[in-house]
Amino acid sequence: MLKAMKAVIDEVNASGGVSGRQFELVVEDDETNPEAAVRAARKLIDVTKVPAIMGTWASAVTTAVAPLCWESRTFLTTVSGADSITKLPHQGYLIRTQPNNYLQAAKHAEFIASMGVKRCYIMSIQAPFSQPTQERATEVLKQKGSQMVGGLIYDKDKTTYRSEVDQALKTNPDCIYLNGYAPDVTILLRDLYRADYKGLRFAQSYAVTSKVLESLPVEVTEGVITVQPSADIGSPAYDLAKKRLGIAEPDSYETQATDWASLVVLSIAKAKMATGTAIRDNVRKISQGNGTKVYSAVEGLKLLAQGKEINYEGASGPCDFTDIGDIIDCKFRYNKISGGKPSLLKVA
Amino acid sequence: MPPLLAEIAQLVVNGVMAGTILAVPAIGLTAIYAVLRFPNFALASHATIGAFAGYIANVKLGLPILPSVGLAFLVAGAVGVATDEVVLKQFRPAGFITTAIASIALTIALENIVRFAFGNELRGYALPIERDWRFGSIRVGPQQVQNLAVAAAAMVMLFSFLAFTRTGKAMRAVADNPMLASIKGINADMISRLVNFVGMGLAGLGGMLIGLDTTIDPLTGFRSILSVFAAAVVGGLGSIPGAVVGALTVGVGEELCLLFLSPDYRSAVGFVAILLVLTLRPRGILGQRAY
Repeated sequence: MLKAMKAVIDEVNASGGVSGRQFELVVEDDETNPEAAVRAARKLIDVTKVPAIMGTWASAVTTAVAPLCWESRTFLTTVSGADSITKLPHQGYLIRTQPNNYLQAAKHAEFIASMGVKRCYIMSIQAPFSQPTQERATEVLKQKGSQMVGGLIYDKDKTTYRSEVDQALKTNPDCIYLNGYAPDVTILLRDLYRADYKGLRFAQSYAVTSKVLESLPVEVTEGVITVQPSADIGSPAYDLAKKRLGIAEPDSYETQATDWASLVVLSIAKAKMATGTAIRDNVRKISQGNGTKVYSAVEGLKLLAQGKEINYEGASGPCDFTDIGDIIDCKFRYNKISGGKPSLLKVA
Repeated sequence: MPPLLAEIAQLVVNGVMAGTILAVPAIGLTAIYAVLRFPNFALASHATIGAFAGYIANVKLGLPILPSVGLAFLVAGAVGVATDEVVLKQFRPAGFITTAIASIALTIALENIVRFAFGNELRGYALPIERDWRFGSIRVGPQQVQNLAVAAAAMVMLFSFLAFTRTGKAMRAVADNPMLASIKGINADMISRLVNFVGMGLAGLGGMLIGLDTTIDPLTGFRSILSVFAAAVVGGLGSIPGAVVGALTVGVGEELCLLFLSPDYRSAVGFVAILLVLTLRPRGILGQRAY
């Protein structure tokens, strides 16, 4: 991720920077630890006096660093997934390029409906995201002409889920959404196979990892569909990121880091001022709206210099943000398991 | 069969299957308690060690399931004797609370040794997964029936050992009255080694049975220890038949609660059962006589 940000900054500096001034990337290690992260952020804010901090990853780290940022009017960009993060009173000083649960649940439901599913059942692990995911997926399935016929939340430390599977099968679903983690989804997949369930099984990629696939007989996982947030692999910005980074398939995180650096540079250029508040007030002016679509910071800087309006479309997605800093849309990668291996079904 | 009755029957079947597997390590826990008078929480890591020993036998050495189950018993039993000799024995003079806490520390240490050796990922046995048999509306898994048979056989062997052999009788004597047993010349040290071997062996066997139905990782034992403990306490801590009754009560209770509770409250049932039994009958369902 650091390389991706550095590559964008180097490219911008090589093209002459903004108003003749160069960008400098200062790196501190948050050690994925809230305490270390707060110390590092304090240094960046008080000593280095940066206008923006890019790259907090763990939700606990972002939750600890965010108050320092909004109090000192420093802009923060993050990939942390917890829904609570954008609900903090950050006054606009925070954006997140990772889809939150609400968006994920909606996208999953849209996909399930697009597979022709009429009756979906959702089995969720007991976790903070379970209830909101069930509610949002139910809502979207209904809008798309499908139906959530039922759902349950199960206890995580069980050695069998036969009775839960019975409850689900009673509703006669043609798709079961397995909304849990690897240890429990493994058991559910076994129990569904034993119960001779023939419908669609849908789960997050992190619950059906390569290790899970190795630990289960191939017939048990055959046909399972998995989903994960994806970079926008069809976008020109993605092609540019590939070239810039010299790697064949930058992942979702590398593309998000590419977009942070681009958004911050373009906001500063638009505002003609390098402060956190200037970035906050201008980030939506360069990332959404009716301006000319641009796919890299350098391209955007040229148009801004000519006084034109721009709309940055990123390598991770369209980079359009809600009022609280969440992305409005992004792509997801759907894989189908066959012969114990995932193969790409589509990115949508 | 009317739908509600069919559902209850299915839940009872599921509960008996889960309860029988739970009974195996619960017997281990209660047997160790009967003789050594402390709840040995290190049972959790021994269940994991048994599951991994069985995994090595089955997947790495290519042995069939039954010999692998036997090996799970032997390895967990041997580790149980060794850890007791080296670690827990030194704590026993300090009282049962100290020893119980030491056993928690021990279980965390052993679990991390397994993690160091095998990593955190999930592993499965080399075992085909078969579709369930259907009897009318009732569904039963062949693997579960096999596990049930292994668990039942282990229990029958243990009960025969306690009832008919000299050593088994000596073990019961120590559990009943250690002072009297020592006057009669029964070697208490030998008996404590033996009970550790059998108890931890059963834990290892139970760990492997759980793994056969699911997958294993270093937390396999830890995840089920609370239910095992609940089963032993409900049946009467120290009573071996009580552990079986307690395990079946907890197993069937956890399933039947699904009739009117959401599945995420399932684990709570074991603990409500502990509270109820300890309030109404503090010595557990079958009391605390070892046998």
